Amino acid sequence: MTSQPTPVATTGYPWPIESTRLANGLRVVVSEDRSTPVVCVNLWYDVGSRHEPPGQTGFAHLFEHLMFEGSVHVAKTEHMRLVQGNGGSLNATTNPDRTNYFETMPSEHLELALWLEADRMGGLVPALTQETLDNQREVVKNERRQRYDNVPYGDAWLRLLPLLYPPGHQYHHATIGSMEDLNAAGLDTFKAFHQQFYAPNNAVLTVAGDASPAEVYALAEKYFGGLEAVTDTPAAPGAHLTGMATEPVRETVTGNVPAPRVYLAHRTFPFGTAQYDAITVLSAVLGNGRGSRLYRRLADGSRIAQPDYVAAYGVDLAHAPAPLILTATAKDGVDPETLEAGLVEVLDGLAAEPVTEAELDRAKALLTTFWWRQLSTVGGRADTLGRYATQFGEANTAAYRLPAWQSVTADDVAEAAALALRPSSRVTLTYLPGESS
Amino acid sequence: MTLIATRPESGEARPYSFPTVVRAGVTGGLVVAAHLPGQLLAAASLLLDAGAAREVAGREGTATVLAKALEEGTKERDSTAFALALEGLGAELSASVDWDVFRAGVSVPVGLLPAAVRLLAEATRTPKLDPADIARVRDDEVTGLRMDWAQPGPRADFALRADLFGATERFGRPLHGDPESVAAVTVDDVLAFHASWLVRPGVLLVAGDLDRLDLDALGAAAFAGTSGGQLEAEGPLGVPVRDVRRTILVDRPGSVQSTLRLGHRAPHRAHPDYVPMQLAATVLGGAFTSRLNHLIREVKGYTYGIRGDFALSRRFGRFAVSASVQTAVTTPALIDTIGEIGRTRLDGVTEEELAVARTWRAGQLSVDMQTPGSILGALSTLVIHGLPDDYYATLRQQLLSATVAQVSAAAAEHLHPEGLTMVVEGDAALIRDELVAAGFDGIVDFER
Repeated sequence: MTSQPTPVATTGYPWPIESTRLANGLRVVVSEDRSTPVVCVNLWYDVGSRHEPPGQTGFAHLFEHLMFEGSVHVAKTEHMRLVQGNGGSLNATTNPDRTNYFETMPSEHLELALWLEADRMGGLVPALTQETLDNQREVVKNERRQRYDNVPYGDAWLRLLPLLYPPGHQYHHATIGSMEDLNAAGLDTFKAFHQQFYAPNNAVLTVAGDASPAEVYALAEKYFGGLEAVTDTPAAPGAHLTGMATEPVRETVTGNVPAPRVYLAHRTFPFGTAQYDAITVLSAVLGNGRGSRLYRRLADGSRIAQPDYVAAYGVDLAHAPAPLILTATAKDGVDPETLEAGLVEVLDGLAAEPVTEAELDRAKALLTTFWWRQLSTVGGRADTLGRYATQFGEANTAAYRLPAWQSVTADDVAEAAALALRPSSRVTLTYLPGESS
Repeated sequence: MTLIATRPESGEARPYSFPTVVRAGVTGGLVVAAHLPGQLLAAASLLLDAGAAREVAGREGTATVLAKALEEGTKERDSTAFALALEGLGAELSASVDWDVFRAGVSVPVGLLPAAVRLLAEATRTPKLDPADIARVRDDEVTGLRMDWAQPGPRADFALRADLFGATERFGRPLHGDPESVAAVTVDDVLAFHASWLVRPGVLLVAGDLDRLDLDALGAAAFAGTSGGQLEAEGPLGVPVRDVRRTILVDRPGSVQSTLRLGHRAPHRAHPDYVPMQLAATVLGGAFTSRLNHLIREVKGYTYGIRGDFALSRRFGRFAVSASVQTAVTTPALIDTIGEIGRTRLDGVTEEELAVARTWRAGQLSVDMQTPGSILGALSTLVIHGLPDDYYATLRQQLLSATVAQVSAAAAEHLHPEGLTMVVEGDAALIRDELVAAGFDGIVDFER
């Protein structure tokens, strides 16, 4: 086949990593790289939709919007104007585990970026107005319509989560949340949310690119050093699960979709565990590329699935067993039962037909390219280090992930699959074209 | 709480320099490469003068079917063997077509690039193109387009493009065809497109650590077995704009949002006003603090986001504003949008707005160009539009020195609110009367 095997990495992070902790608990991570005059400032706040109690779903995400609407020394929309007006790119995202904020700037504006981040960490509440809250609530409702409600299959993730995680579990509800909950909440509730979670000791500040650790530490002390730690940050609601699910669950949705689609989903293992590494490699074996099992069997072999819509992927959640999802969409004239049987056969066939060395090599090569692509920008590096510092305590644990993927064996995959992918723990979500019920 | 009240001044700027561009002629073809010292990944792309414009009328989508059929095996190995060989390197073939070119590319750890380029050439130059495979790929593409057309957007885009460029013209039809034109594509169409356009040498673009790459060897692999010369480029199409607005309603029953597409024609990419046009569009609808996003999202809360831009290719361009707005505010969102376009044309931009636009666009040159993939995109812009190797260095200076007068003049010259085509895709039963009542008369219903 190919003459050159993919190089085996001894480290997944060949750039320097330095870190420190300010007296108020803010962790600061720096990864210097002078090759371009660009720097990324990234903040991971250890707050996500998993922290939302019943009746407050969607709060973490709405808060992400409010963080761009002004703080004590930064007027409404000035944050965006200052970052873009100085040549930077910025964004923020919220998921069940965390909320992250980041801007990549020409490096002469590092200090500006740190000042902006400090001001909204420590000074958002006095600037938060009812008008801003009302406006961003409408923006978020439009985000929900645009992403989930107005697109075929758009609500699959919203439906899968409650099927995968029981009521009361921190992953039971989706990050976008309930519009009713958002409508019901007043300004004071949001102010309290910020005061509880947006604290230096609940965040990791990462700077990657054209800056030295000494320079970043001094600036971090200058801008964030005066902020006070919060001592009563609430813990997230229950993450405890008594092992794998024991009863299969199904849901069928009839609606305005162009073709039948099936999702199979399982709770597996938390992101960061060796078992989840095996699931990650398995997901590439099953669903990544034309050499994957799903493609070869459903799109190419039996030709029951549309080639552009077969996939298998893990959702990298760290605080409870993370989902593995397989999906396929029927070709014209193929009924959903046939499609589901095809997906099930691939999954259940893992026991009789174990993953081969060639399949493992292919999956690992694709994951290796994926990993390096992710780290090819200072933004990707900063976010990766922020994640590992937040979720595993040390930024430099990021270096272990790629070697860990590369050392996964066929036995590891078989063991993880046997534990987590049993028919008895399966969630099946089916979409059928037709009049909405 | 102790916060520092004073906003810091900027530090000393370290100049950004676009990577060194190297051009190497290799056996009839041209290699254009950018040197990225120390970069772990490398990317290569074969650029062929085989854009969608070369498709036969009524068979729009031929090139897209061909792009997908390239992965159905080669003269040397079947589709599975090819996939395993390429994916075994950690690479995937990305083949795509736009108005100007057909491109096929790979991205891998730098040491694997020679092997990946050999496979890239094998698929592009000597695909198997078995008739049964082509027919199946075409049928899958039709199904895929139907899936795509079930989303909001593609039908609105179709209506806008047809109205701006003419429903019977190639540029007035969708880039990748529509379900009907793709269904009409024959095996012979695909074979002929390959034989006519994909066996010419073209240009190989490479971005990576050139100390570890042999451009001659890469070029030799990419151009092996090719023949035919460079094709003559055709000139720009001109910019006809109507003097009346037109409203087109695309019915999507049950839609909870209305998808808006407002546009008119614009000059081609190499037009001398490119920089002031881009800056004007940035002020109007490009930056987060743009006039449109500020008013429609941040003040009114009608949308999750709205943007306006010029999309420019080798022979033509278009200006368009795109947004999804809540159904109930469709009419006021349209009125506000037209108002901001008109205001920008009439009054131009302010120094405060332009300061943000020019620094942002200039800064993006360095912020965006960190990866081999993005550098490859920049190289392709140089090649397709015949721009000089120092183009990006010059562009930065042009962006930073553009004046309010220049950008306002470009807004006056290239924005045409009076000749807009306004496409609204949404629940017609809920929005038609309100549109009529607001004076949007002569509504054309899009039938498809």
